[in-house]
Amino acid sequence: MTEERFLQLASAYGADLARWPEPERAAAAAVLASRPDIAVAVLAAERDLEAALARYAPADASPALRHRIIGDAPHRRAARRGWRWLAGAGLGLGLAASCAAGVAAGFSFAPHSVAHLFGGPRGGDDLSSLADPFGDAANG
Amino acid sequence: MISGVDPDDELVRRAGEGDSAAVQALVARKLRRVLALAERMLGDASEAEDVAQETFFKVWRNAPRWRPGAAKFDTWLHRVTLNLCYDRLRRRREKPTADLPDTPDPGPGPDRGLMAAAVGERVRVAMQGLPPRQREAIVLCHYQELGNIEAAALMGVSVEALESLLSRGRRALKAALADLRGLD
Repeated sequence: MTEERFLQLASAYGADLARWPEPERAAAAAVLASRPDIAVAVLAAERDLEAALARYAPADASPALRHRIIGDAPHRRAARRGWRWLAGAGLGLGLAASCAAGVAAGFSFAPHSVAHLFGGPRGGDDLSSLADPFGDAANG
Repeated sequence: MISGVDPDDELVRRAGEGDSAAVQALVARKLRRVLALAERMLGDASEAEDVAQETFFKVWRNAPRWRPGAAKFDTWLHRVTLNLCYDRLRRRREKPTADLPDTPDPGPGPDRGLMAAAVGERVRVAMQGLPPRQREAIVLCHYQELGNIEAAALMGVSVEALESLLSRGRRALKAALADLRGLD
């Protein structure tokens, strides 16, 4: 590894060699061993930055946020299988007797509908749209 | 396609079936990560909470259709979160700066007793001063601890371009935070 490449890697990935690309770590360690002055001059500045970055720690999620997120999730009813069996029985009886009540029961016993959550198009979830969100990566 | 087993596949599948325990486990495993990503991209805790909620709403909506092996769930989650962050950053750019989060005075230097929270605030402001793509590269590689290949793929750039974004971003941060040397 050239010193130039070592400096490039240090400026991109920082002082901790464990964060460097795995295929280049051994060569980087060899450069460090042969040029310990680089460790002092280059990696120390990166360590200073990382010490500051470590202080920027967003707060953990609030219980209220957790509650809202879990509340948005689809929930299967606890006795789902039993209700399904009853729903099937209800439907069967309803159909056999041409009983409107049986048909109604069949729908009402169906698992909690989450169709409104799953039915929409993926739209903004299209992952290919992320490549250059502002169209100005070259200027970033 | 991804190689190996995605540790999140089973939880996502069960969450998609409406399994409450899986839903709670997935939130416990991923919410902090999503929230931190959004907050560091947006620099605003309240907006980050909104993004986190929207992200998980998309998770719940898509989980029943999750195809194991097609992508790593954590990568997909980062992409969805970043898309939502960029939607908001784009809206900010289109609106007057009145909607931007406050940028407080950086405050005193470390020799005057700078507290950890104040240093964190300095870093937040410095991060928000970066071009979004440089900020994204640093957030993904440094804070989210993604590998360079995964981060580059997520950003739709080569590893070389990622390294350039990282270098420029870190250089700008070092300049902005030069007075904080010797914290540890």
